[in-house]
Amino acid sequence: MAASVPLEVHTGTGWFVGFGNMVYKEWGSWWRTRRSLTHLILWLFVINGLMFLVGVDERGSNPPIDVLEELIEVFIRAGGLFATIGVVVATQSAVFGEKQLGTAGWVLSKPVSRPAFLLSKFLVNGFSFVFLAVVVPTVVFYLQVIHHALIQPEFVSFTLGLLLHIEHLLFYLALTLMAGTFFNGRGAVSGAAIGFLFAGLILPNALPSLAPLLPWVLHPLASGVALQQELPDRVWLSVVMTLFWTLLCLLVALWRFEREEF
Amino acid sequence: MAPEPVIHTEKLTKSYKGVDALKALDLNVVPNSIFGFLGPNGAGKTTTIKLLLGLVRPTSGSATVFGHDIVGDTIDVRRRIGYLAQDPRYYEHMSARETLRFTARFFFKGPRNAIESRVEETLEIVGLADKADRPIKGFSGGERQRLGIGQAQVNSPDLLILDEPAASLDPMGRRDVLAIMERLREHSTVFYSTHILEDVQRVSDTVAILNHGELIAQAPIEELLAGSGGVVFSLEIRGDGSATYDRVLNLPWVSEIRSTVNGSGTSWQVSVSDQQVAERELLRYVLADESLTVTSFCRKQYQLEEVFMDLVEGNNDGS
Repeated sequence: MAASVPLEVHTGTGWFVGFGNMVYKEWGSWWRTRRSLTHLILWLFVINGLMFLVGVDERGSNPPIDVLEELIEVFIRAGGLFATIGVVVATQSAVFGEKQLGTAGWVLSKPVSRPAFLLSKFLVNGFSFVFLAVVVPTVVFYLQVIHHALIQPEFVSFTLGLLLHIEHLLFYLALTLMAGTFFNGRGAVSGAAIGFLFAGLILPNALPSLAPLLPWVLHPLASGVALQQELPDRVWLSVVMTLFWTLLCLLVALWRFEREEF
Repeated sequence: MAPEPVIHTEKLTKSYKGVDALKALDLNVVPNSIFGFLGPNGAGKTTTIKLLLGLVRPTSGSATVFGHDIVGDTIDVRRRIGYLAQDPRYYEHMSARETLRFTARFFFKGPRNAIESRVEETLEIVGLADKADRPIKGFSGGERQRLGIGQAQVNSPDLLILDEPAASLDPMGRRDVLAIMERLREHSTVFYSTHILEDVQRVSDTVAILNHGELIAQAPIEELLAGSGGVVFSLEIRGDGSATYDRVLNLPWVSEIRSTVNGSGTSWQVSVSDQQVAERELLRYVLADESLTVTSFCRKQYQLEEVFMDLVEGNNDGS
């Protein structure tokens, strides 16, 4: 089979062999299918629909600043909780699904490294989900806030709060991918990640000294930052530790996936 | 000097929870051969293929493909291989064209138009040009298998590994697969597992037979078809041959005669120790008895199925 134009052959080695092509494939699974549109509609309906109801409820009797604070609080707390559950559900079969279907075995018979396979999922799922479940609803939320409270949130604080919310989401994405390398069922993967999320509603109160070291407190902090509230002393510790746990989940996932047999 | 083997394994072993799926496999596949890898279900064929591709890790032993270690240099190994799985699975949202493009981009950086023309060429070869932009989820089993062959050869591999390539195909599909394999041997080595012994006999030049994870035979196909029981001549005779039977059996170069009655005649399978003398003398000895008519005389040609069954059943009895 002779090609008329010479083809340039890939020659690299290491973790990122095949990474670009895997990103292209993952990107296509979000943006060249109806998946992105489905998520867009879902998150606008769930998050911005909720904000619409809260706004209508609050608008009549309260001063605009109270309405603004209530909307931001609900947006980050409730919207954040839905989005966290959403990222787990949306990516629960990203790894084990491919193991079970046999597509992972097929792809990994080509010159692609296992880290490239896994990290492309983190990158594209993270970007796509954050864009569809955080960025777009936030833009719409901004317009809703102006409509309901007639004033704008303070931009820098609100953006910092959102960044903490995104960091929190990416931790759960890494946790879900890691669970997918260990388990072979949706129930086990999502159960591990959502179980961890709900444990976070109880355990920080039971173990207050450990709370800043775990990712659970990042979410309440996000709304505090967005609302310019007084924050606990060691906010930075929670930010750094969540980043640490995210990286650890990814490293464990890579370690486990290297040992997987197809 | 013998050419460097494309595939070389030394005591390659794979165990799952203490059970050996593959036991100390020593295999050599020479360049530009079509190597048939046979064995009953569960013999270890797919395990061997997955070991070569780095999809599973060996428990012990080692193997190289084009001189690259299958564990340490697995990316270099996979760069030179095209692989078709037994039950190939692809991303259902992709079309055939997208699947081939996705596969080709693992091997080639560009240029984009060269990759596209390679994809187009492959679609033509496997007969999917008219369905190139349809999502795979609507494909029939035969179309999926054609796509599988396409993606396995889109990189013009030096080694093509096919796991049961014709298992789910109709006779036309099977013929096409064999034709592709024969065409590819000019530039590539083909290593394939199959249950269809007729295909193996038609296209393979070397055969290995695996049973219960053990290699029980590895030889050029002609050698295997010559049989392991020495040279045997087959005669069909009519008439009472009992006297001639004893006379022939007493000849010093005849080791055994198997006689079976079939219809109006008798069939003899005469095992001999000296082929040349037998070719010259055996028929004369039989025809010396004027009461006998010989309706057929030839050197027995084994079918691969017979050889395969003998070897596998012999191995099963021995184990």
